[in-house]
Amino acid sequence: MTVQTERPPSGPADVRRTDDGGSGGPTPRAASRAGALAPYLLLLPACAATVLLLGWPLLKDVLLSFQNLNMAQLIQHVTEWNGVDNYKEVLTGEDFWRVTLRSILFTAVNVALTMVLGALTGLLLARLGKRMRLTLLIGLVLAWAMPVVAATTVYQWLFAQRFGVVNWVLDKLGWHSMADYSWTSSQMSTFFVVTLLIVWMSIPFVAINLYAATTTIPGELYEAASLDGAGAWRSFTTVTLPVLRPFLYATTFLEIIWIFKAFVQVFTFNGGGPDRLTEILPVYAYIEGVGNQHYGMGAAIAVLTVLIMLGLTAYYLRIVLKQEEDEL
Amino acid sequence: MKRKLIAAIGVAGMLFSVAACGGDDGDGGKKAGADGYAGETLTVWVMDGSSPDQWQKDLAAEFEKKTKAKVTFEVQQWNGIQQKLTTALSEENPPDVFEIGNTQTPAYAKTGGLADLADLKSEIGGEWTESLNESSVFEGKQYAVPWYFANRVVLYNKKVWADAGLKDTPKTRDEFYDALKTIGDKTDAEPIYLPGQNWYHFVGLVIGEGGELVKKDGDKYVSNLDDPKVAAAAETYKKFQALSKAPKDKDEATPQQGEVFAKGRTGAFIGMGWEAGIATKANPKIEKEIGYFTIPGETADKPEGVFLGGSNLAVAAGSKKQELAKEFLKIALSDRFEGQLAKLNGVIPNKESLQSNLEGNAPAEAAAPAAAVGGTTPLIPEWAAVENAPNPIKTYLTAVLNGKSPADAAKQVEGEFNKRLAQQQ
Amino acid sequence: MNRSLFGRLWPNVTAAVLFVVFVFPVYWMFATAFKPTGDIISETPVWFPTEVTFEHFGTATDADHFWTYVRNSLTVTVLAVVFSLIIALAGSFALARMRFRGRRGFVIGFMLAQMAPWEVMVIAIYMIVRDASMLNSLVPLTAFYMMMILPFTVLTLRGFVAAVPKELEESAMVDGCTRAQAFRRVILPLLAPGLMSTSMFGFITAWNEFPLVLVLNKDAGAQTLPLWLSSFQTQFGNDWGATMAASSLFAVPILILFVFLQRRAVSGLTAGAVKG
Repeated sequence: MTVQTERPPSGPADVRRTDDGGSGGPTPRAASRAGALAPYLLLLPACAATVLLLGWPLLKDVLLSFQNLNMAQLIQHVTEWNGVDNYKEVLTGEDFWRVTLRSILFTAVNVALTMVLGALTGLLLARLGKRMRLTLLIGLVLAWAMPVVAATTVYQWLFAQRFGVVNWVLDKLGWHSMADYSWTSSQMSTFFVVTLLIVWMSIPFVAINLYAATTTIPGELYEAASLDGAGAWRSFTTVTLPVLRPFLYATTFLEIIWIFKAFVQVFTFNGGGPDRLTEILPVYAYIEGVGNQHYGMGAAIAVLTVLIMLGLTAYYLRIVLKQEEDEL
Repeated sequence: MKRKLIAAIGVAGMLFSVAACGGDDGDGGKKAGADGYAGETLTVWVMDGSSPDQWQKDLAAEFEKKTKAKVTFEVQQWNGIQQKLTTALSEENPPDVFEIGNTQTPAYAKTGGLADLADLKSEIGGEWTESLNESSVFEGKQYAVPWYFANRVVLYNKKVWADAGLKDTPKTRDEFYDALKTIGDKTDAEPIYLPGQNWYHFVGLVIGEGGELVKKDGDKYVSNLDDPKVAAAAETYKKFQALSKAPKDKDEATPQQGEVFAKGRTGAFIGMGWEAGIATKANPKIEKEIGYFTIPGETADKPEGVFLGGSNLAVAAGSKKQELAKEFLKIALSDRFEGQLAKLNGVIPNKESLQSNLEGNAPAEAAAPAAAVGGTTPLIPEWAAVENAPNPIKTYLTAVLNGKSPADAAKQVEGEFNKRLAQQQ
Repeated sequence: MNRSLFGRLWPNVTAAVLFVVFVFPVYWMFATAFKPTGDIISETPVWFPTEVTFEHFGTATDADHFWTYVRNSLTVTVLAVVFSLIIALAGSFALARMRFRGRRGFVIGFMLAQMAPWEVMVIAIYMIVRDASMLNSLVPLTAFYMMMILPFTVLTLRGFVAAVPKELEESAMVDGCTRAQAFRRVILPLLAPGLMSTSMFGFITAWNEFPLVLVLNKDAGAQTLPLWLSSFQTQFGNDWGATMAASSLFAVPILILFVFLQRRAVSGLTAGAVKG
């Protein structure tokens, strides 16, 4: 079997052929061959771009990861292969494993918080009256639209040691030791603020999408459920959840990717500090590679980062793989 | 080895092309004639605050007069400069001339990114102060030229001090501390702005204690932060930092302490003389309030140890305007401009004979007594890696300021410090 | 059905609290930007600016090349989004509407592409661009930004295309339209919300990017606003008025775009998300 469009190929393909007004009569075979090529032609620009602009840098990165590439080699354009030395050094060191574990925990906590709170907010949106819903939507959209560099800066100001409004509020609430607290001074406090920032920025996407998804559920389904004697919880689990499930999978997948790669937030807020204790994998790769000018080492960490991310998302990718298979 | 080979090929190529082209004179402008450089533009990177506008303007005019070429100064931030410089040097059009810190020069000399300036040294370098030229020389070759040197002083706000009823500037460390205390008690100004990571000042304190940051272990350098002398320096730093509301995890350039001082609510800060210029630029009214004194040492007869900071000028090996770059350096380092820089910024010029420019210059006169007891970080190529963010010495300082004992803090950063000192080049 | 007062009240109260939580940082940014310095560094926060000053905006826009950065950022962002929409539309149409060998592979391929950790690949990209002698240019920047948002755009648009009832397209073709015409006249208008919501993501990604432009373009003439904002922050770290003014200026275009687009986009988001 070659290729099929989703409807009988007869009509449209023929119409198009005549429209082309090509040389020689359109034979059905030529037509179906053209039709067969169509999807590939349509995908060609996207694939070409991906190969050129993503595949090539990725390949380059893999090549660099097998090189001893530091200041001198970069400046003089010298290629010094060093086999798997970079990988050996990274994988036998403690740092990498500690950072990896930290990255995974960081992602898990942030994704869980974002998904749970985001889903609850989305369901709340569905329950609200029109005016309140619009109000909350505007609030969500404002937070969502804040560019991450600006948002990080604003959070630095909110949590500033001096004149920061958060410290003031905590002090007024009776927690006086927080009056001059430096949020960048410890690992946990830095992660706390970064988590708050990320969850704040990510909830709107989840909530708005989930709300939009609930609006597609026909009211009759709920009516039918209640006729069957289902309570609120039952109708939620039997009607709402099944509709939302594919959406929840997709959103979780996106959030995992986005949060795992939350470079800007972590790097801008505290540079991976204090004492490198809040470095997550992308920050670690950047500091070892670009910061310490150990570019080959950085490339090796980058490759490992990609592999770990693949591992984290493998479950979802498998679902997609199966789902697409079923459709064919 | 590889570099030599490349150089040899380059020379061979040149010979070949000369032979092939014969009498063709269209080989595109390397002639240093009357207007040989007309139409060319030289790019010069200078660090934020290190060269005054007036100096740049006068120098550009003189340069244009002499060579018919133009020069553009591009001001760079210290933050992330090594990454920027490394990539820039690898590019087709690197900055032709650039300022480079004395502690970072050996590392870059080793990379092959800096042009050999031996002929410049023999032409104009006869009078350069030997010790100031040290960082520019690597394995016997001249890779940069010494530009200016400076050590830190205390810059203080005369009005704030007067408000606190202080008449004299302190002569000992304790007097200094008491004076700052008085400011804290009697005025609503911050006595001193001392961010937790002004590690240059910390290096000065270590030098004052007679300590060293690194020691030799066999043929490589390792951390010496666990030395009691270093711990003593850290305690001094901590004592003074406690008087400041400055963040414990930021250095003196983020934000520029001159900018903070410019607001007029700070009693003093420890910085380079020329940082007064940053303050004045931000708030011209502050100029008349700025005073300077030598950082007081433990006893009145010996000032506090200081880090002898300085900058060299280097030419990118990849620059296509080598000759023009050298012409620029000749003018920039001429007595007129080297003298002007010394005068305007209060920095130590590269030769003794120009020291007279510092007469009557308050910051320079405050700096001079300490220069004799100053020192630098080790002039080894490995050092530059230590200064990359996150600099372990800064981490050490922040840890101590946040309550760790110096010994624990030393232990905490030792691994990172040693790793960087041993880093493959 | 008579819900208790509590039952009616709590969603509204929760919503009000959430509204404050989400809006406050944005509000505080603008408020700080307009407050006189005395009110910013005051021991008791000034919740509502009583006096408005534009001084901080002056400081913020005073930077050399500010308008160059604005122009560059707009150029790069708009072009990257437009190109990615065009390229993605073609691809997503194929993925949503046609059956062909390897389709699954393409879908998974784009999902993998979406995971690309761009920040850690900067040096590889830098070396490629450097060796192609294209540093300090907006062209590679546009191309890479386009690529950063392309996979998401393809996958999301695919959902939107799939959500357009096939019958509409078919009936148009029965009426004598070619497939291309049917696409242009029937599907494209229905895709408008989808295109908008996808472009929102693209805008915000391209507008924000800075690790790449930081290494690629050292020449101020080819730099963009995020670099200005982050360098501004290191230089004026404690001048919160100016920093917040700069952040406000940086955020405003995106905020306007979102508020403008969101009503039409949200209605279409479901389709994209469910299929994605």
